[in-house]
This record gives sequence, structure tokens and C-alpha cells, in this order.
Amino acid sequence: MIDLALTAFVFAVLAAGVRRPFLWVLAYVYIDILAPQKISWMLLTHLPISLIAFVLAFAGWAYVDSKAGSRFSFRQGLIALLLVYCGLTTLFADLPEFAAEKWSWVWKALVFAVFLPLTLRTRLRMEALTLVMVLSAAAIIIPAGIKTLASGGGYGSLHLLVNDNTGLYEGSILSTVAIALIPLALWLAREGTIFAPAASSKQDWRVKVFAWALSFAAVLIPIGTEARTGLVCAAVLVMLSLRDMKHRFLTMGLLGAASLLAVPFLPASFTERMETIGDHQADQSASTRLAVWEWTLEYVETHPLGGGFEAYRQNQLSIDVVETSASGNTTAIETERLEDKGRAYHSSYFEMLGEQGWPGLAIWLLLHGLGVWQMERLIRRYRPTSVSPPPQALEWVAPFARALQHSQIVYLVGSVFVGIAFQPFCYMVVALQCGLWTLVRRKEQAAQVPRLERARFRRRLLPASTPAPQGVAEGVA
Amino acid sequence: MIDNFALGLTHLLLAVGLWRVLLRDDLDLDPDDPVERPRIVQRFRRRSRDDRNARTD
Repeated sequence: MIDLALTAFVFAVLAAGVRRPFLWVLAYVYIDILAPQKISWMLLTHLPISLIAFVLAFAGWAYVDSKAGSRFSFRQGLIALLLVYCGLTTLFADLPEFAAEKWSWVWKALVFAVFLPLTLRTRLRMEALTLVMVLSAAAIIIPAGIKTLASGGGYGSLHLLVNDNTGLYEGSILSTVAIALIPLALWLAREGTIFAPAASSKQDWRVKVFAWALSFAAVLIPIGTEARTGLVCAAVLVMLSLRDMKHRFLTMGLLGAASLLAVPFLPASFTERMETIGDHQADQSASTRLAVWEWTLEYVETHPLGGGFEAYRQNQLSIDVVETSASGNTTAIETERLEDKGRAYHSSYFEMLGEQGWPGLAIWLLLHGLGVWQMERLIRRYRPTSVSPPPQALEWVAPFARALQHSQIVYLVGSVFVGIAFQPFCYMVVALQCGLWTLVRRKEQAAQVPRLERARFRRRLLPASTPAPQGVAEGVA
Repeated sequence: MIDNFALGLTHLLLAVGLWRVLLRDDLDLDPDDPVERPRIVQRFRRRSRDDRNARTD
């Protein structure tokens, strides 16, 4: 039954794209995030639906969709550069077979990331994309949240929709993405127009209830998966949210009290695992991570251009795990030496450094750093203040930019502990940022046209020897 | 059971959302964009003319 419903849904969306080709773009995003072909066991598993949706999305944009307002931004250029560079490192990879395997999905994610902003020409398109991203991820987050509430979950034991351990179905990745999703879900609830009642600027209460319930389920994911990354991400998101709150100290106090009250209800295994955040030497996972990072730094000394995808498989590590046990006044410290090899980076920064070298890391950091900076500029420029409120048509820009910025910062913090440098979901956030930046720039340039024309007209009226007045000069600049 | 509930709820919301998006003109044309405004007006006039013709028929 579910299989038939999923198949019908996918085909219905693809069919609807005949009328509005942008729906094919949304269909690809839905398939990329949820992977319905993995949930299904009949028709969808035998069809390359991801490829079909991508071809339709690109063909629809190329042959049917209007290109008015489409701009190729600098950050898209950076993604394209990263794509080419990754292709080159794959050609000269240390482990060509493993590198080719990862390249087979990375290039698709990057090509789509370059393409996606070209289609995001209107506000509604960006909102629709955000909605599809949120609801597709919600299909994974909601059941995981409910199961956590019911059973408490556990490290590696929380059953997600698909027992696959790739993409969003991996615990640490899901916990990072779930937290990064919260600002987007709350933005949709506050500013969204798709589910807003007709002829009303106020949101439907059901939309708000759903968004808050989804956010709660998202917060439960780090508890259910016992991924420490998620807890760090949640703390960062709280700190970011405080920036725009009126009663910061009151909110901080309430959150602190709520956290303390919640501790007795948390699973014992979760609290034990979270306690290891501060003591990396006693935790094998954290010690291994540090050893891999150290190995990566040594590796790039001899391979500054990177070793290609999956280069980490060459590592051989010796890790000292310190165990402390106290009895009475004496504390016994035992050090155990463990040998390990082929351990993953467990960090996007070191993933980029080890695989793509310093140039790859620089491109990746520039791509994300520019995103944070561009969103900050939009927030400051279009933030409603009593002195200069933004134009009514652009009131949504600052809240949306803030949601995208928070989402990206959460991702960048989660990236310290999880290797998600090429996670397609995060490139969709980047695409939304590129789309928003381009749209606002276009509107600003369009608004400047009359000023320029006015300045030219005034210049024609003035004699050639007369210097241009101050205001006109500013208008031209 | 839980998985089916979550899949059903999210896909229902996706279907409603996409249906609403499908019916909106501002999906393809930005009504606030001065560059695109003439095209929106043109589309609105064409639609009004079609409606008038349909009524007279």
C-alpha cells in the first residue's frame, strides 16, 4: 500500500511538472533527500527516478522555463571550480577505485548545486524549495522523534525509515541536518505563504503547531541517535537564536531550567555518552578522531593538493585510551594502546583537507564563508528598524536570510565532527542563499535604474563645465 | 505503523503544498519585479479576456 502510494506520488509530481517545469526541480530535491526508491520495494526500486527527475528538471529549465532574472553567481562559480578540482583529484587519486565510487555521487550533488540557483528566480520558488526540503526530511525526522519518545533510542539502534546508514539515514548526519532544519521550518511557519489562509497575512495555527512539533522531533534526534554532534549543534542554534530575542536573559534562564528538568527523563546511555564530550582521552571514538586529524595534517605535508576521495583508507593509527577509576583516595589511571586503520575523517574540514588538499579546503571555506557574510549583509540591510523599515515587498528577506544563515552555521559546526562536506542537503541551503542573494541584487539594481536615469537627465541639463551636484554624484555611484 | 503515519502525514502536506504552488502565477513570475511586471500584466489581461470570451460564449 505504502509502496503504491509512494509510486503514485512520485509520478503525480513528475506529471504536474508538465504544467510547471519547476516541479521537476522539486521532485529531484524530494527524491534526493528522502530516497523513496529505498523505502519502496517494487517499481521505484527498478527505475532510475533520480536520473529521470534530474534530466526533466534540467530539460524543463533549458527549453521551457523563462531565464529572466537567472544569474550565474560567484558562489556557483566556486561550486563549479570545486567540481572540476574534485574531478582532477579523482583522476590522480591515491586509491582510484574508492575515489571513483565517491565521485559517482559527489559530481551529481555538485552539478545540481550549480544548476539549482538558476531556477530560483522568485520568492515562491525559494519558499517551495524550502518547504519540500523541510517536509522530505520531516518524513525521516518525525518517526525517529516518535520512536525516541517511545523507546529512548540508542547509539546505532534507532531504527530509521531505511536501515541504510548513508545520506540522511546515518545517525550523526541526520542529527546535524535535523537541527539545521529547525530555522527553515520556523521561517516557513512565520513567513510562509503556501499554507497561509487566503486573503490573510496571519499564519494558520495548524502550520505553527506542525512546525514546532517538527522542531521538537528534530531536537529529539540527537537524543535518539546519541550523536554528540547534534547536541553541540542544538546548543549553537540556541545561542544564535538569542541574538534576535528581546528577553535574552529570561529565555536563557528558562532554557537552562527546562534542560535541567529534562535530564532525569533522558536515557542513561545518552547522558553517559554526552559526558564523554569533555574527556576525549577516555573515549575511543573521540581519540580516534583526533588521531585521524593528526594523520591528515601530516598527510597534507607531503600531499598538499590532496589524495583524492577516500584517501583516509591509507591511515594506520596508534591511539592511547586513558581510563581512570577512583576507589577511596586513590585514582588509578590505565592507558591502553589501540591500533586502528582506515578510519574516516569524521570532520568535513579534514575531509576536504585530506581529499582535496589546501586548494579544495580553501574553495570550500570560501564558499561557506561568503554565504555567512552575504546573509549577514542581507539581514543588516533589510532588518526592520523603527528608523528605516524595508520596502513591503522585501520584508521577508531578512528573516529568510537569518534562517539560511543559522542553518548554515549549524551545518558548519556539525561539520567539525561529521564528514558531510558533500552532503547534498547542505548544498541546497547554499543554492537557496545564492538564489536569495541574486534576487535581492536584481531588485536593487532595478530600483537603481530610475536614479541613474534621473542623474543622466540632470547631467544633460547642466552645462559641461558645471560640476555635478553632490546628490547626483552619489546616485551615480 | 509510526513510519506509515509519518510518511502519510508528510506526503499529504507535500501534495497539498505542491498543488497550491502549481496554481500560483507568482511561481514563475515575480509580481514585485519591475522587469517582469509587464509580463504579469499581459498574462492577467489574457486571462481576463479568455474569461470574458467564455462568458459570452
